[in-house]
Amino acid sequence: MTNRFIERPRGFCALGGAVLTASALPGVVPIMHAAMGCGGSIYWNQYGSTGYLGAGYCGGLSVPSSNIQESDIVFGGLDRLDEQVRSTLEIVEADLYVILTGCTPDIIGDDIESVVRKYSSGGQSVIGAETGGFRGDGYAGYDILLSALANSYVKPAKAKTPNKINLFGVVPGQDAFWRGNLLKLRSLLERLGLEVNSFFTERDSLTGLLGSGEACLNVLVSDFFGLRTAEAYERRHGIPYLTNPLPIGPSATEDFLRRVGEALAIPRRTLENLISDERRGYFRYVERIADAYNDLDWQRYAIIVGDANYAPALTKFVADDLGWLPRLTVVTTSLEGKDEEKIDRVLGNLSCGCKVKVVYETDPSEVAGHFWRIAPRRSDSLHQLSFAPAFVIGSHLERPLATDLGAEHLTVTCPVGNRVVLNRGYAGFEGSLSLIEDLLSVIAFQR
Amino acid sequence: MDYIKANTAPRREDRLGTCIEFGGTVGGIAEPFCQGCLKNRRRSFSQGTICQLLPAVAILTSLQDTVVIVHGAIGCGGAAHALGANVRLGQWRGGDKNPRGALWLSTNLNERDVTSGGEEKLRQAIVEADKRYRPEAIVFLSTCVPGIIGDDIDGVARDLKDKVSAALLPVHCEGFKSKVMATAYDAIFHSFLRNLIDGSDETEFPVFDPEAAQASEAIRRKRLVNLLNVSSMTGPDQKELIRLLGKLGLEVNMLPCDAHPEAFRLAPLASLSVGVCPTHDDYFMSYLEKRYAVPYVGSHMPIGIENTGNWLRGVAAKVGQEAAAERIIAQEEAELGRALEPLRPKLKGKTCVLSAGEIRTLSTARLVQELGLEVLAVRPYHYDPFGQPEVERLSDVNPGIRLNVATAQPFEAVNILNRVEPDLYIGHNSDNVWAAKCGTAVLPIYGSNAIYSGYAGVFDVARRIHRHLENNSFNERLVKNVRQPYRESWYAEDPYKYIIGAELTA
Repeated sequence: MTNRFIERPRGFCALGGAVLTASALPGVVPIMHAAMGCGGSIYWNQYGSTGYLGAGYCGGLSVPSSNIQESDIVFGGLDRLDEQVRSTLEIVEADLYVILTGCTPDIIGDDIESVVRKYSSGGQSVIGAETGGFRGDGYAGYDILLSALANSYVKPAKAKTPNKINLFGVVPGQDAFWRGNLLKLRSLLERLGLEVNSFFTERDSLTGLLGSGEACLNVLVSDFFGLRTAEAYERRHGIPYLTNPLPIGPSATEDFLRRVGEALAIPRRTLENLISDERRGYFRYVERIADAYNDLDWQRYAIIVGDANYAPALTKFVADDLGWLPRLTVVTTSLEGKDEEKIDRVLGNLSCGCKVKVVYETDPSEVAGHFWRIAPRRSDSLHQLSFAPAFVIGSHLERPLATDLGAEHLTVTCPVGNRVVLNRGYAGFEGSLSLIEDLLSVIAFQR
Repeated sequence: MDYIKANTAPRREDRLGTCIEFGGTVGGIAEPFCQGCLKNRRRSFSQGTICQLLPAVAILTSLQDTVVIVHGAIGCGGAAHALGANVRLGQWRGGDKNPRGALWLSTNLNERDVTSGGEEKLRQAIVEADKRYRPEAIVFLSTCVPGIIGDDIDGVARDLKDKVSAALLPVHCEGFKSKVMATAYDAIFHSFLRNLIDGSDETEFPVFDPEAAQASEAIRRKRLVNLLNVSSMTGPDQKELIRLLGKLGLEVNMLPCDAHPEAFRLAPLASLSVGVCPTHDDYFMSYLEKRYAVPYVGSHMPIGIENTGNWLRGVAAKVGQEAAAERIIAQEEAELGRALEPLRPKLKGKTCVLSAGEIRTLSTARLVQELGLEVLAVRPYHYDPFGQPEVERLSDVNPGIRLNVATAQPFEAVNILNRVEPDLYIGHNSDNVWAAKCGTAVLPIYGSNAIYSGYAGVFDVARRIHRHLENNSFNERLVKNVRQPYRESWYAEDPYKYIIGAELTA
């Protein structure tokens, strides 16, 4: 874990992650108990890093907020919060209100639970979570909020519904492609005969969240994000969980489906039928790009920069499915040592046999240094081994690096400020077709 | 001048009586404001908005050869991801073909730092930034967390002064300290005056050839004016203002946005400071006048025909170029008038609501009146004595124009829009979407690499308004298919229901 400064942090603080997560849930409105500028800082960050994800129903500068001042910090901010919750219930329409704290009330120790109790005993749906920015990044905010919901909002179920699962691990905003990724994985899992709660898509409703205690399995498409939530569900609702790297492309997705199938005892034939069907669909498209791939030599060396979900997932896809040569993978999430080993394991066993250098680095301007340490050495020969043709897959912060290296570049990972993202997703079989389109279009664009 | 002796600039609430809560008309604000009745107001319902950190990040990340350290939790500087696009554009204009955008660090304060203090982490960040990037200046901003736990950022600056090569500029902009985001301008200038300008001396701009060069440098400085730009100004805006000043024979030292730290050191040597936004620069320009005898002018924002003319006249009067200014103004206005002729009939009588920073909103309102639109409501982010002359001019046209002082607060905006149903909304980034969801056509009030200033700006605003009015089907379809988050009952309520006036304590 990094315990020093971070250059241009890629994403949000805990409050920001929680506000984006709450705003992504249908029918939910966050109420910030925070200083006045938190709303603006989160929204401008969202503007520059999430593929132009707008405010939506009640996000952006519409998020109700106590905007506490110096006097509230001196005397305590609870009266102001109480007033803000009361007035919010008066004019803002929502099915569930979530009080989210910023740094200031968390430091002075405002007991928001007392306000939550007051309004929920009055019959309103109000819950709270302590999400002060110093408690962690946007991924932590997602996890703090969802685990609070699991503990205080999700209805305890009398019995589990077989084949009903909850899908976690894709963090709204930190992943600009969250909606597309969730939809793609949801449709895929539904084809296994499962009922899937994906919580955040247009196919979800708040009822799904309320009834999510009935699920018989929580599936995290992440080895890192959503663990606290999964543990809360396990403790409170007795739901076991399975973690799996974010599956992008046929190789990773086949592994993922087999693991889910095994955990739910899905008949082997159903599973293999789905896999071969999806694979056939994938290759119907890939077959017809094979001409250009081979005629125009669209194989690339690659540098991949992304969070702990995307960096291994993209690396595995371009290596094992697309036949590229990833040489450097930069994981930008600040991880514990044992978590780094998980990624090392995935990337140490690429089925194509490629070896990729994996580094853990938060700072954008340091990426170039890591590359030059592994770059092909200049020799005194006329004939040089060079890092070309090359492609950088990362955030928009990696664009100058790509330009310096004469490499092509596609923004996939946060911050995504030079692309617009609506329903696009890269997960699963179908998602990886979109990723192929986007990567190869960058190359084709120059023709 | 005494302010400068303190570590921090005073809050705008205290220095100017600035307020951010008012609902009424342009004809009705002068009296309660002057009597101090607008102090100590607050809202019992409010929405997350902008604190002084955001403009500080916007201005400071645009500086050349400068690293910004946001001393706080990991989210505080996040706005730079959006603002970085403008910074990149500025670097591109400056000739960098592979621009890096804004360079900033977060000290990433965590739970442990909250208990044990964040100064050590800040110190580390400064030392490492100096080594890694070798910048001319390192600016570090104090946010809420260090403000509460009591980190002494000025002490850190003193300790490290001789240990790093960059100039160190501590800026206090803790969000909870002031509810007026414009306090940021003072906070920045305060630090730059204390730490970069005072104590620098003329020998930093040496003249090598004693005679000829000194003579020409003296002439240059006589023609040299500080042009105080604002972060909402685009490259084309700046170009237009430099063009107009150039016509008066003046050379420009532009700051603070996009400037190199050297521009600040040069500022006391210029012959005049020219502001473009009265509420933005008074702190800086008045200090330069008192301490360095650099006079200043800047009671108008050069947006709109009359305003641009008055702005130019103000500058000309200080440099003895009155006659030239009148010639330029007559020529520019004639040229603009001809260009506007075909557009005027299309704009005449269209109705408009505006929302953004104080002077920006009020000057742009004058501009659209000049184009023949009717202004129904203005929503400045704050109100202070600098807004008064602007409001009076709007009031001369129609004292009944609605005036809502609010830093964003879209719930009030939506209520008003629902009542007045304008043809057009001209607003700040992040305000506009709520008007769009009312089905109103929208012109952003700044940015998008477009031009708003000077005579070229008047024409371009007219052209773009016409464009938006010609086809508003995006927003017209939006309003039919999405909804605002408010209960129906809100639209029947007074839009200012939640402003609590504590007049008795004023």
